[in-house]
Amino acid sequence: MPKPTTIAALRSLVAAWTPAPVARSTDGVATGVPAIDGALGGGLPRGRVTELVSAVPGSGGELVFEALLESTRAARLRVALIDAADGFAPKNHRANLLRHLVWVRARSLPEALGCADVLVRDGNYAVMVLDVRGVPARVLRQQSSGVWHRLRLAAEQNPGAVLVQSAAGFFPAVPWRLVLRTSAHLGELRRTRAERAVALAVEVERGHADTREELAG
Amino acid sequence: MNFAVLWVHNFSLVAVQRSEPALGGRPVALITGEGRKAVVTQASPEALQVTPGLAVPLATARCPGLQLREPDFAAEMEAQQFLLAAAFALSPRVECTARGCCTVDLQGADLARTEAEMHRQILELRQLGLPVRIGAGETPLLARYAAQRAESVLIVRERADFLRPLPIEFAQPTPQQAAVLQGWGIKTLGQLTALPKADVGSRLGPDGVALWERANGEAPAVLKLTMPSRSFAAEWNYEPPVESIEPLLFKLRRFAERITFELRSAGLVAETFSLTLLLEDETEYYRQFRLPEPGANVDSWLRVLQTHLDTVRLSERVAGVRFVAKPARPEQRQDGLFDTGLTDPCSFWENLARLSALVGDDRVGTPVLLDSHAPDAFRLERPAATVPAPELPPVHPPRGGMLRRFRPALPARVICTDAGLVALEGAVRGDIRASLGPHILRGDWWKPGTWAVETWQVELTGGGLYQLTRDAEGWWIDGVLD
Repeated sequence: MPKPTTIAALRSLVAAWTPAPVARSTDGVATGVPAIDGALGGGLPRGRVTELVSAVPGSGGELVFEALLESTRAARLRVALIDAADGFAPKNHRANLLRHLVWVRARSLPEALGCADVLVRDGNYAVMVLDVRGVPARVLRQQSSGVWHRLRLAAEQNPGAVLVQSAAGFFPAVPWRLVLRTSAHLGELRRTRAERAVALAVEVERGHADTREELAG
Repeated sequence: MNFAVLWVHNFSLVAVQRSEPALGGRPVALITGEGRKAVVTQASPEALQVTPGLAVPLATARCPGLQLREPDFAAEMEAQQFLLAAAFALSPRVECTARGCCTVDLQGADLARTEAEMHRQILELRQLGLPVRIGAGETPLLARYAAQRAESVLIVRERADFLRPLPIEFAQPTPQQAAVLQGWGIKTLGQLTALPKADVGSRLGPDGVALWERANGEAPAVLKLTMPSRSFAAEWNYEPPVESIEPLLFKLRRFAERITFELRSAGLVAETFSLTLLLEDETEYYRQFRLPEPGANVDSWLRVLQTHLDTVRLSERVAGVRFVAKPARPEQRQDGLFDTGLTDPCSFWENLARLSALVGDDRVGTPVLLDSHAPDAFRLERPAATVPAPELPPVHPPRGGMLRRFRPALPARVICTDAGLVALEGAVRGDIRASLGPHILRGDWWKPGTWAVETWQVELTGGGLYQLTRDAEGWWIDGVLD
């Protein structure tokens, strides 16, 4: 086989080797947080990885997760949570919001990634959440980029949406990266969670509405 | 059509080829006899110019690379089980007529549905390496002729038209009869049945009458019925014993293919199956498996078996393997209109089992809140196959922070003044700008294991909300509040 001499030839060669993503509808899974659903054009895109960065403690990552639980429960969808730092607290939530959730309490990042590799291919879940908050940045950096690439490719071959919750943007080549930068104040805890979720401010660090259409082909 | 026959051409050879996939696409011949008397009995289409009855030296000379095998009784029995299972899918009245041949009594069956089922069975059996043909007609013999002439399914509707062109060999004349008929110039069944039956009888005797009747597709319609198998088991002895997993898995795949086929044909599934390895020192290794979701899927079974066998270390070689599936009725349920079901139950339970293997049984599941105010009181339950419809939202919308826990909680030191909490030291440190608390919780005081904690929510000057607790051992940072 002749060696590619141009970038275009190299791209076409890579495209020939890489299986094309499965064609799927572009509808998303609504998170129930208006700022996020608005930024993503309707919700977490299916067959894609979306990274949600909680840049500061108390910026609302858990609030988003509860809204997602509420929204998927109403839509009769299932959610899987792979908790790399075992930080999820069920007592935060009403019992009714936990019934469609499968929670995997990993002991380490490699264990969590092993579980993600299994669940991302399971078509029963509308959303798989990989929560790596609490995993030291050093440990995340030690992971080969191939691991994340593999996860992204697997997500593209399957119908569920993948949400990665992190404390600092790290996921390479992620189509969407949203950042929560504002830390809540103690006084805000008196407001209802729904009100706080509506008021969440989200910054789109990577991806935009057009990206969605490009990805859908 | 009153009867159907399932028939496999060169059945013994096909059985051997199924048990040895390496023979696929290569010239193969079955032989019988020893030494110079050995002759070919069946030959694959790849074995060009090799015909039954040919002496083995001549066959190998005509077809270099010809693979010679003797009939394998165990492989034939295994293949026969497939045929029987397919036959029972058509009707409960089945005769195991011969090796590679089953006759089915279809009287009273829904013919359109039966014909569709025939095509389905053929498709499935061919995928399993068994090129079965099905013929159907008024009599068992006519159905057998049809099966022998069929490409896949052949139903004889006009007996005379069908029989007329068939070669006289279909009626299986003796060599003497064949010579006489050749002398008469009779080459087809139609030519023989055109002669009066009585005249043939007067010249060839009672055997001639029987031949005429066979040529006319007539035969006793009474079948020696076979009972369907009530056990779904398979066994194999290795000679010599094996040491690696590959031959085991190969044989287990064959077993699984056959047993799942039998289960499906009987409208059943398996909920458990057991594996027994017979070791060289005459001891046994036994293991029972409960399937995550009862089913009859070969790949699911093999994944369970392979995952387990990868971890097994035995001191002796394996001399035999026994595989038994416990049948069960498939679960019939109807989900509620607003329930959340599973799109692929098999992969759901299988993946849960894999996750349990990765992180442990106690670390995967659906969280269920305990009836307690104790911090972090929950248990993990096996996820439900069907999640009921969501409840109505609470009258009072939930408030308060969402805790993301540090497990275990981080030890801390908190500086307090008369004004309240001032500073936090430890894994998280900073001046405390505002705090809420204490919230005092105490429980289980009426029994051993009483607990009591004092909870605070604090906001640090540099940003960030945390939940602190104080107990008898000191201060702890429970987690971050979102």
